[in-house]
Amino acid sequence: MNIKKELIKREFAGEAILVPVGKTVYDSKGLFVLNELGNFIWDILLDVETTDDIVKRILEEYDTTEEEATKDTEEFLEKLRTLEII
Amino acid sequence: MVRKRSEEPRIVTYLHNKAGKLGLPVGATFELTSRCNFDCPMCYVHQCGKNAEARKRELTTEQWIDIARQAREKGTIFALLTGGEPFLREDFFEIYSAMKKMGFYISINSNGSLIDGEIRRKLLEDPPFRINISLYGGCAETYKNMCGTPMYEKVLENIKALKAAGVDVSLNVSITPYNKQDTEKIFNIASEIGVVAKAVSYMYPPIRINGEKFGENARLTPKEAAEYTVRWDLLRFSDEEFEMRAKSMREFADIERDECLGDISEGVGCRAGKSSLWLTWDGKMYPCGMMPKPVAYPLEVGFEKAWEYVNTEVKKIRLPSKCASCPKKNACFSCAAVCYTETGAFDRVPTYVCEQVDETISQMWDAYVSKSKKEVIE
Ligand SMILES: C[S@@+](CC[C@H](N)C(=O)[O-])C[C@H]1O[C@@H](n2cnc3c(N)ncnc32)[C@H](O)[C@@H]1O
Ligand code: SF4
Ligand code: SF4
Repeated sequence: MNIKKELIKREFAGEAILVPVGKTVYDSKGLFVLNELGNFIWDILLDVETTDDIVKRILEEYDTTEEEATKDTEEFLEKLRTLEII
Repeated sequence: MVRKRSEEPRIVTYLHNKAGKLGLPVGATFELTSRCNFDCPMCYVHQCGKNAEARKRELTTEQWIDIARQAREKGTIFALLTGGEPFLREDFFEIYSAMKKMGFYISINSNGSLIDGEIRRKLLEDPPFRINISLYGGCAETYKNMCGTPMYEKVLENIKALKAAGVDVSLNVSITPYNKQDTEKIFNIASEIGVVAKAVSYMYPPIRINGEKFGENARLTPKEAAEYTVRWDLLRFSDEEFEMRAKSMREFADIERDECLGDISEGVGCRAGKSSLWLTWDGKMYPCGMMPKPVAYPLEVGFEKAWEYVNTEVKKIRLPSKCASCPKKNACFSCAAVCYTETGAFDRVPTYVCEQVDETISQMWDAYVSKSKKEVIE
């Protein structure tokens, strides 16, 4: 998937934070905090094409059901879309 | 009770609290140079006529980038780039871009005079989250009188251009004997341009420049400092807000304040040395730029060891017990740096500040009473 904004991920004491850089600063003045799953998805985002790809990767890594993983993934992607990050 | 802080995003507060508990420096100030094209008489860092000498002692490009890398390793996210005048460094953008790539959340303090042409163009390509520009007067004459440089128009132009380009600009207003008469003008200019302005009438004694001048500075008397605090509050608050503030102060109740402070207690109450640190132009690490003690040397011992030292030592500092139990402490802005720069010791009461606080409380009340009398007459 394509990331439209310039964001750099930082880790701080177990938190994953996205810091806007470049022209992205003009429309996003704040920091974005990722939860654990969000952090996982963020790291693989550029390598995947579809929601299903993400769900597959989550199921390899986490002990969860396909239903749960799909729901969480869709929620996270929706947030990224709202923020116009993807 | 936790003091109210104005206008700080919740995530910033959250990260600082977490960092404080874990002893990690989430915030750091990078004082890139002490050199300046201005000569403000009250300045705590720039020494008039010493630019050439200072240049030889300041950290190199590589040293700053390396320190930044070490800070990042230790968890620093919020970085303030300041000086002196940071844009005087020819390698400013080298350091800045390297730090941006490392993922720092950067803000800048500047006098605004050099942000035109190529510098402005580069800055707008990859802007900081905020730039705080000091505005030293409300007209060309006062401006020059205050900072020694006739750049009033230029600075205004630069402020407006940054703002128009969509950069988050805010103004720092330092009120001193040289520009006090322009306080209202400066406020009005900020309102016209549409930027937030923060005024301060208390100036720390510049003991980093002259280690003997505890309690001294080219500054207002405590009574005048109070007067200009009240004048600024009359400008920035509505009648109702001013009334509330005047009443709260008189009753020694909590008020909203925008200083960098925590509560006044026996130990250091703010973030200095707990979740933030200051790197000086010549390579020292302090808890805060106003507070040159404890000091550590990151170039010699490495960033991590330097931070551990500062963090440990800050926790040992004891402030005056009189302050911890002072009824006026809610209206007071004293802190470890204030005690030290005013008296030369952390545990001595800064009487200049006591006087300013007393005066502020009573002048706020007088201003409120005369305001309400006027209303009755009208
Ligand atoms: C030291 S300057 C560095 C950045 C830039 N040169 C500027 O003037 O904004 C940072 C801020 O500290 C203020 N300042 C200077 N000396 C001070 C002092 N002794 N106490 C408190 N603030 C001071 C300045 O007016 C300015 O707003
Ligand atoms: S412009 Fe800033 S650094 Fe320069 S002398 Fe004034 S306060 Fe100091
Ligand atoms: S008014 Fe004076 S004694 Fe009271 S807290 Fe402030 S500095 Fe301390």
